[in-house]
Amino acid sequence: MVGLNDHLIEKIKQLIIQRLKLMDMTPEMIETDAPLFGEGLGLDSIDALELVLGLEKEFGVIIPDAEVGKKVFQSVRTMAQYVLEHEGTA
Amino acid sequence: MNTSKGRTAFCFPGQLQDKPMLEEAPLLREDPHFKELLKRASNQTKFNLLNFSFEREEKEEDFSLKLQISTYLLSMVHFYRLRAAGWTPDIFAEHSMGIYAALAASEVISFEEGLFITEAIGRLLKREGTIHRGAMANIIGLPLEEVQKICQALNGFHLSIANYNGSMHFVLSGEEEGVEKALSLALSRKAISATRLAFNTALHSPSLYSLREEIMEILKNIKMQPLKVPILNHWTIKPLRREEIKDFLSQEIGRPVYWVRCVEKLLQEGFIQFIEVGHEITLTKLMRWIDREAEAFSAGDHLPL
Repeated sequence: MVGLNDHLIEKIKQLIIQRLKLMDMTPEMIETDAPLFGEGLGLDSIDALELVLGLEKEFGVIIPDAEVGKKVFQSVRTMAQYVLEHEGTA
Repeated sequence: MNTSKGRTAFCFPGQLQDKPMLEEAPLLREDPHFKELLKRASNQTKFNLLNFSFEREEKEEDFSLKLQISTYLLSMVHFYRLRAAGWTPDIFAEHSMGIYAALAASEVISFEEGLFITEAIGRLLKREGTIHRGAMANIIGLPLEEVQKICQALNGFHLSIANYNGSMHFVLSGEEEGVEKALSLALSRKAISATRLAFNTALHSPSLYSLREEIMEILKNIKMQPLKVPILNHWTIKPLRREEIKDFLSQEIGRPVYWVRCVEKLLQEGFIQFIEVGHEITLTKLMRWIDREAEAFSAGDHLPL
């Protein structure tokens, strides 16, 4: 299991870039605590579906419904925290 | 200059879901195509895209109608920008009301005729929305069978699938109360997202099929010219024939959009570049889900100004 450290944060940022094909972005450009949706990175529900699949493939973590998704996809940090708590449970 | 690297499809998106944030696009506002088309549109429709309002608008005009005209205008602006930058399409694909810009870009109809059709059909839909209030909803994260079950469970609200956008992405259309119930049901069945769209008519549902004669009336004085660029018909998965265009237009608001089928056909045919001819990145995101390897971008997002 990976700890909630810079390495995991970096992996989450890379996952976002790869899954969403944000090829003009680098992990440094994504703020760890900034909102991912709306005013932050500007993601939407189609992006959320990509991230759900990405988390499952990369970390074996399942987002079971929209309610959990809302909490998990608040920021990179909340995503990392969820991975830490649920990794390998899929 | 032809900047295409292979077979290229220009994809015309359907209605925007929100007012375009043009104040955040100062360079676009200075673009000569933008200025020219906005002026022509404003003369014809009295709609000012920059203000997102009609001239002498006493009471707030229908939001959907404004979005429909804005979508058409921005697609045409981005089409001319792409062409000026050297991009040459081999085929057009269109999603929903993107057909009007696709027809104008293919020179089947003029820019003004496309604008006229967009506004006239938009006003027809507005009227329909006041008589039979409908709604649409985006359901993301459920497979087709689950979405079909939701429609069956709410039998009586005339719910149907309006858009097949991806294997886990559908749009439902029907009576407003039924759509609201479908949203709750979708979330209870573990959809990742279920949200209302900016429509007050049940677009792409059989309930609008009854408007086809009125749409034919709108089109009666418009002569369809030969297509300069083929347009893929997403029902037949064959190029739209000139003689079937009016029938297509009269029926398409009452029939679903088979976007996945359309893109899969293009991929099979060897298309490798998909360029969204619009202001947002909606179809580009759908493409990512259908085929991650396909090269896709949106003119509004990616084409340098």
